[in-house]
Amino acid sequence: MIADDATMARLMALSQGGDRQAYATLLMECQKWLRRFYARRIVPHQIDDLVQDTLLSIHHKLASYDPNRPFLPWLAAIARYRWVDQLRKTYKSAETEFDENFAADDTESTIEASISLERMFSYLPPAQSDAIDMVKIKGLSIAEAADASGQSESLVKVNIHRGLKKLAAMIEKE
Amino acid sequence: MRSDTQSFIDDLVGDLRPIRPLTFPRGWAIGVGSVILTVIVMALYFGIRSSFMVENPVANPIFVLATGLFLMLGIAATVTAIGMSRPHVGIGHGGWAWAVAMAALLPLSAIVLGFIQEGNAFFQSQPVHGVNCLTHGSLLGLFAGGALTFWLRRGAPTSPDQAGLLTGIAAGSLGIFAYSLHCPIDDILHIGIWHSLSVALSALLGRLLVPVAIRW
Repeated sequence: MIADDATMARLMALSQGGDRQAYATLLMECQKWLRRFYARRIVPHQIDDLVQDTLLSIHHKLASYDPNRPFLPWLAAIARYRWVDQLRKTYKSAETEFDENFAADDTESTIEASISLERMFSYLPPAQSDAIDMVKIKGLSIAEAADASGQSESLVKVNIHRGLKKLAAMIEKE
Repeated sequence: MRSDTQSFIDDLVGDLRPIRPLTFPRGWAIGVGSVILTVIVMALYFGIRSSFMVENPVANPIFVLATGLFLMLGIAATVTAIGMSRPHVGIGHGGWAWAVAMAALLPLSAIVLGFIQEGNAFFQSQPVHGVNCLTHGSLLGLFAGGALTFWLRRGAPTSPDQAGLLTGIAAGSLGIFAYSLHCPIDDILHIGIWHSLSVALSALLGRLLVPVAIRW
């Protein structure tokens, strides 16, 4: 069970005031939320690194949260930014299977659905989202992705490049 | 949870210090403060145009329209940049483009007039004064540009390139707004070419230089 938005917003406001107990609780909740958020959208062995990178960004950017606003859209923006950054850095990985323990929660709320990574992918043309999914997330090589999609290798590269550029431009898009 | 993540969280908790949130009123206060500082520096260093002091300042509609457009463009870009420092899924940052479109009427008018007047337009724009406006307007923009860059560095802009561009537009617009209060030339060719160039130059510099400073 992950804390709701109001609880996390309250914890964040206390954390900004220097309350370490509230901050420890908040980071634990964020850590759980992020693991679910990134499920199926990153190679499993990279989840720990990505979650830690995101927690570090949260720590450095605490001031950018306005306590008068909901918390989860802020957290999602930070998480999306780190995720796109990670995709840009990710190259072929030997690991292609997903850990089913990280399967997305089917009961996610409408708000969570609107800030999810899947929502970002839905704005991409299928050729671009498929190319990113195969190469950057599932870890296929360019040649393997080209075979699987029926695109040329250069087209796969172009689609990845264009897709990542679009993702970077729509971090805050609902 | 993996133990290294737990110890990582413990480290972050140990490093916690009280911080002041980047609320919009604080950002707005810094933006307004930088404009006031820019105008004061301009007035002390260059002086307010004499017609502004002794005549009715709204006597020349070109001056009022152009100066107002640059001020509004600067405000729009500043407000958007402040908003970009506080990420939030579901908030768009596209409104500033309309302000750019409105301000673009100034160089567009100058270009149309230039075609009508053929070869005289460039000289009528008073290029010697124009270079001064371009230089001084851009330099005055450093106050607003510096303040916004400082603000954005503390924030978390998710589009550093766009935030840099907006910082440049805000700096150029507010800089040339301030310098317009000194520049005695109200000709649309001069304003449309040289004052707009000041904004364009600042926008280019902001787009190239600011993202490096605010990327996180």
